Amino acid sequence: MNVNTPHKASDFRPSAGREHLGKSPAWLDGVREAAMERFREDGFPSPKLESWKFTNLSPLARTTFRSAEATKGRKITRVDLEPYRLTPDCHLIVFVNGRFRPDLSALDHVPDGTRVVDLVAAGEDDLQALIAPPAVAVEPRARTLFDLNTACMGGGAVVHLGRGAILDPVQLLFVALPEAEPAAFHLRNLIRAEAGSSATVLESYVCLGEGTYWTNAVTQIDVAPNAVLRHYKLQAEGSAAFHVAETSVRLDHQAAYRMFAASLGSQLGRNEVDVDLAATEAVARLAGTTLARGAQHLDTTVRIEHSMPRGTSGQEFKNVVDGRAHAVFQGRVRVAPDAQKSDAQQISRSLLLSKTAAADTKPELEILADDVKCSHGATIGDLDEEAFFYLRTRGVGEAEARSVLIDAFIGELIEHITVDSARTYFRRAFDHWLADGGRP
Amino acid sequence: MLKIEDLHVEVDNREILHGLDLEIPKGEVHAVMGPNGSGKSTLAYALAGRDGYAITRGRILYQGRDLTAMAPEERAREGVFLAFQYPVEIPGVVNANFLKSAINAVRRHRGEAELDAIEFLKLARQRLKLLNMDEALLSRPINVGFSGGEKKRNEIFQMSMLDPRLAVLDETDSGLDIDALKIVAEGVNSLRGPDRTILLVTHYQRLLDYVVPDQVHVLAGGRIVKSGGKELALELEAKGYADFVKAAAA
Ligand SMILES: Nc1ncnc2c1ncn2[C@@H]1O[C@H](COP(=O)(O)OP(=O)(O)O)[C@@H](O)[C@H]1O
Ligand SMILES: [Mg+2]
Repeated sequence: MNVNTPHKASDFRPSAGREHLGKSPAWLDGVREAAMERFREDGFPSPKLESWKFTNLSPLARTTFRSAEATKGRKITRVDLEPYRLTPDCHLIVFVNGRFRPDLSALDHVPDGTRVVDLVAAGEDDLQALIAPPAVAVEPRARTLFDLNTACMGGGAVVHLGRGAILDPVQLLFVALPEAEPAAFHLRNLIRAEAGSSATVLESYVCLGEGTYWTNAVTQIDVAPNAVLRHYKLQAEGSAAFHVAETSVRLDHQAAYRMFAASLGSQLGRNEVDVDLAATEAVARLAGTTLARGAQHLDTTVRIEHSMPRGTSGQEFKNVVDGRAHAVFQGRVRVAPDAQKSDAQQISRSLLLSKTAAADTKPELEILADDVKCSHGATIGDLDEEAFFYLRTRGVGEAEARSVLIDAFIGELIEHITVDSARTYFRRAFDHWLADGGRP
Repeated sequence: MLKIEDLHVEVDNREILHGLDLEIPKGEVHAVMGPNGSGKSTLAYALAGRDGYAITRGRILYQGRDLTAMAPEERAREGVFLAFQYPVEIPGVVNANFLKSAINAVRRHRGEAELDAIEFLKLARQRLKLLNMDEALLSRPINVGFSGGEKKRNEIFQMSMLDPRLAVLDETDSGLDIDALKIVAEGVNSLRGPDRTILLVTHYQRLLDYVVPDQVHVLAGGRIVKSGGKELALELEAKGYADFVKAAAA
């Protein structure tokens, strides 16, 4: 499959990933063809669209991609994956260049009442949930990569927690092995947490080697009444990669969703998170950080919809931007007329480490209920010159003083990570970034 | 030990120090006194190497070497310490971690073995006790939520840990009640010795009742306008700075 023109992607074949979906039902074929049609019609989202005004996908649209099937998939072993694992013994499902790799996964001890499988093994119910439109509606032309994903999805993790089940933790590890010719990986994940269940899920996107490729990931999440999902995401793609992701979350009565996302990798990245507090007393706590340097452009776009009363949402996002990099944070909160007694807080802070670094933040509040508690704040600033000098007058070197202050800036965010192993995992990724590399 | 010759310092394109001369022999304690805005902190920052404090003329010789070419951390490692008039709050950076890396940076530079966590803690506890300070300070972020007095004492604590050769104390006495002043003074006195040179920058002479200087210099209009023994401080206390300011302006 190829994309040659920026906004007309006529060469994408809707069947690209179909053979990997096993005995995919006829209705799904229809859905996928229709999705492809929409993508063909509208092409890549244009920066003329309000929700894309800070992020221009034309470098992505200009690149010609092969399908994942065409990649040879250089041999890798479990040892190659060790640095990227959450813990040596957690449940693990691995995808290499978009395809499930049972030989590298560790799913033998997944507890009763839970299921972690590849998309191929998805049931009819799962497929229905997978193709559902994202939890928060936007104008269709801003969502064409979701359509493309629907049309081309060929792999992804389906995590299912039965009533009261506990899964602690599972890692979804997506490994890219770039080759000379860029390839596109359309991943589709599903996490369904039934009533009263509890899970920790880590999504990691990593790269072995260098080269251009595109991860287009969609993760659909349903959290049933009284279920708890701790969702972590590390985006540590290769430096020439494109990463576009849509995470869509529906929360039922008293469901709790905690998310922490770190974006470190890729030349051009967009992490969209849409959360619908679709029933009463749901809780969504989102936090994350973008660490960008060089010429990276990393965008985090969050939309929270308070549809029902007494919901709580929190967003705390921090950007650290160096070099000529550009970080974007867009956070939209909408409180529906019926969603009385909603509590929605949002804060974003950006730290610019160089004169050429840039950050854009766009908070948007749309409050249609009258009895609510909502606040938002955004700051953009440089490294505190006084603090920097103070540390140096004590003998701390310039580079170390810088990294101590950056670390202090993102450090308090780590408190949002309530699972110890995940905290260690992200700590390691940040330390690595601070030390230089940009990837764990 | 320290020899400042014809020092001109500009901040934001405005000259603040207009040819300052000062010499402090090794092991002595000198006080620089001056009214607000006379350039005391500017002198302190110039000694510590703060960005934006441009030395446009003159030089600073420290142990015979030109200090002005050195980065702030190099000066620190060579034994220069500045106690800030307004110690900086740094949220998210824990005192103990910061101080341990600072000490070890200095020790590495001196060719001494680094302190491990236990050695560091032992030394820190001993010094804190000397300054009548709570050990809990070690696990708190730098100066965050500290009272004015605690911040000043924390500066002296850091000084005692870093063991400098030249200590510049910028109004370490201001904002302290008499008890805190005595503790700080005791701390400074305990660090007095033949190998340590101390420059006390102060507005009031009351600290000098407790830390008796070898010499006192009056800074006015960006220059040292008078130097003398400790009795000069008393004279200033009695007469104020007005005469000196007038003389400097003339
Ligand atoms: N960062 C700065 N930017 C601009 N002017 C400054 C700055 N620091 C000091 N000054 C000016 O320099 C002069 C001397 O200040 P300072 O050295 O702080 O005096 P002191 O410590 O004796 O009170 C004052 O006029 C002050 O306004
Ligand atoms: Mg001052």
